[in-house]
Amino acid sequence: MQASKAASVLPDEGARLGFRLTLPAQILVLFIAVFPLLMQLYISLTDWSPLSGTGWWNAWSMWNSFANYTDLAVDARFWSALKRTAIVMIVCVPTEFLLGLALATLFADEFPGKRIFYSILLMPMMVVPAVAGYMFFMLFQSGGPVNDILSAISGFPVTIAWLSDPTLALIAVMVADIWQWTPLMFLILLAGLVGVPEDQIKAATLLGANPWQRFVTIVLPKMKTIIIIALAIRVIENFKIFDTLYIMTGGGPGVATETISVYIYKLTTQDLIWGYVAAIALAILIVLSIAAVFAMKRMARVRQVTA
Amino acid sequence: MSTIHLQNLVKKFGDFTALKTMDLAIADGEFMALLGPSGCGKSTTMNMIAGMEEPTSGKILFGERDMAGVPMGRRGVGFVFQNYAIFTHMSVRQNLAYGPKMRGAAKAEVDRRVGAIAEMLQLTPLLDRKADRLSVNILQRVAIGRSAIMEPAIFLLDEPLSNVDAAFRAVMRTELKQLQRQFRQTMVYVTHDQLEAMTMADRIAVMDHGVLQQVGTPLEVYNDPANVFVARFIGAPGMNLLKGRPAESDGGVVVDLGPLGATPPLPVEIADVARRMRGEVFYGFRPEQVKLAEDGRGLSMPVSFVERIGPRTIIHLGDGETAVKAVFDNDVGLAIGQTAVVAPAVEAVRVFDAATGLALRAG
Repeated sequence: MQASKAASVLPDEGARLGFRLTLPAQILVLFIAVFPLLMQLYISLTDWSPLSGTGWWNAWSMWNSFANYTDLAVDARFWSALKRTAIVMIVCVPTEFLLGLALATLFADEFPGKRIFYSILLMPMMVVPAVAGYMFFMLFQSGGPVNDILSAISGFPVTIAWLSDPTLALIAVMVADIWQWTPLMFLILLAGLVGVPEDQIKAATLLGANPWQRFVTIVLPKMKTIIIIALAIRVIENFKIFDTLYIMTGGGPGVATETISVYIYKLTTQDLIWGYVAAIALAILIVLSIAAVFAMKRMARVRQVTA
Repeated sequence: MSTIHLQNLVKKFGDFTALKTMDLAIADGEFMALLGPSGCGKSTTMNMIAGMEEPTSGKILFGERDMAGVPMGRRGVGFVFQNYAIFTHMSVRQNLAYGPKMRGAAKAEVDRRVGAIAEMLQLTPLLDRKADRLSVNILQRVAIGRSAIMEPAIFLLDEPLSNVDAAFRAVMRTELKQLQRQFRQTMVYVTHDQLEAMTMADRIAVMDHGVLQQVGTPLEVYNDPANVFVARFIGAPGMNLLKGRPAESDGGVVVDLGPLGATPPLPVEIADVARRMRGEVFYGFRPEQVKLAEDGRGLSMPVSFVERIGPRTIIHLGDGETAVKAVFDNDVGLAIGQTAVVAPAVEAVRVFDAATGLALRAG
């Protein structure tokens, strides 16, 4: 009894001391994380803009209750931007995942020239997104290399105006995203693939499993955690897609490639209605946070199972 | 069930020769242990039988069938890995069902076979447990069951007991031997632990530096080692080997051990062979086959250390080139510094050619 009491007191004391020592740092972090959030919440409930002539702290004089949020609910441009962002995500993330997985499987084995291919494969990831955007902007011009190649293959001159057609522009933007971010997926998945115990793969082989069966029954289940991490990273990043896209199309033609980030950017710099922008940003933050919590819970469960 | 024939088997990894040459015939239903220190080529041999590695040259026959080019999934070989390689993300049932499922067996058939094998291995109550938190003996049974359900002709076991703590090994050894009696498969068992080989195997193949040293029953290998390596490696402690020259004496042929004097006369069977030897020989005898003798009737040596191991006491005599160990009951009254006269039992003496290391045999 006494021994267990002593043992339980000590960690308590340690925890208290630890709390006191880290308190300044915790306050700092809290301030950095929470203050902008509160500020955003405050502004989102007003009509404040940088042109209103008063500082943001005086925004209460322009209080409009929940008008920004009710506007948001009926803002067709917002909902179409959200839908477009979702489409880009639904196309890009699975494509990047499957390509990355295929490449990782390929690179798990040895083959001549592996190191060179490996370096080449990782290059897109190193390119500054703005530069990548400009690159694809040029590639997809009506007189650009993409059309040249299509002409050479088909045998008659192709002059598709990629970036001026609403559907094709969206496709071009997604191609650029897939080009740039498949390598990251590949890198993460390769790390997971190398960690699959070789003995178990051999055991499966000896039990008569063919390569596809081994992949589905052993490799994929063992990679579950890392797959979820890779997908979570790309989903979150892809939701915020902006730089490459903005340089290629500026959200156009019209609003054909306008994603949430582009819409927010335009509202901020052109319409200058910051109260409304704050409301949008907050709404998205809440949605993403719920998604993140869900993903993390799932991951914790997976880890428990595979530990 | 199947016989295994290894013919002129050679395996090289680049410049390194893992297996110099290997000829071995393993009978149907036999429990063969490949025994040797690490790096002796025993695991390489096993991996080639399983098809994980291709031999550089030579043949592997299962029965009459040449296994060259047959992929490992098609050899009908059950393999138990050193760490068991259980699929930790599955339940025990899924582990057992894995082979038949992958071969496309119907669900009812899979269930029936899993049920039967689980019953045989006493795994039935554990079928729905996750395989990642099982004790080692359960893991061993799952590993064996997972292979056995495929009804392989041959079972290969790669040091399955090396991760098990000593106290538990005896239990596992017994269990394994019983399983082999049950399944009656040809088993090849790789180990560096002679106790495992001695207790379980029908025959032992002793290997060193990629060369097969001797094949025989545990008693043959223990009693009549083919060469100096086997003599030293088998037995705990290994055989005593003293260098000397054969010499004639009144009682017959003896070995002149230099400063230690002459040995008692050699047994008649090897005396003739020893008489013809020109060079030096090793005079060998088991530490267990030594008796205390009167002065002049054995080797007189100082006691350098007394090692008590419970029921027995190991007396270390002399040192360096002329060190000898002798095992006595634990009431032996010898202390460090005393001089003991020890005489090996005549029929237990073995003589080896010091130049080649080979045992001298009658005829």
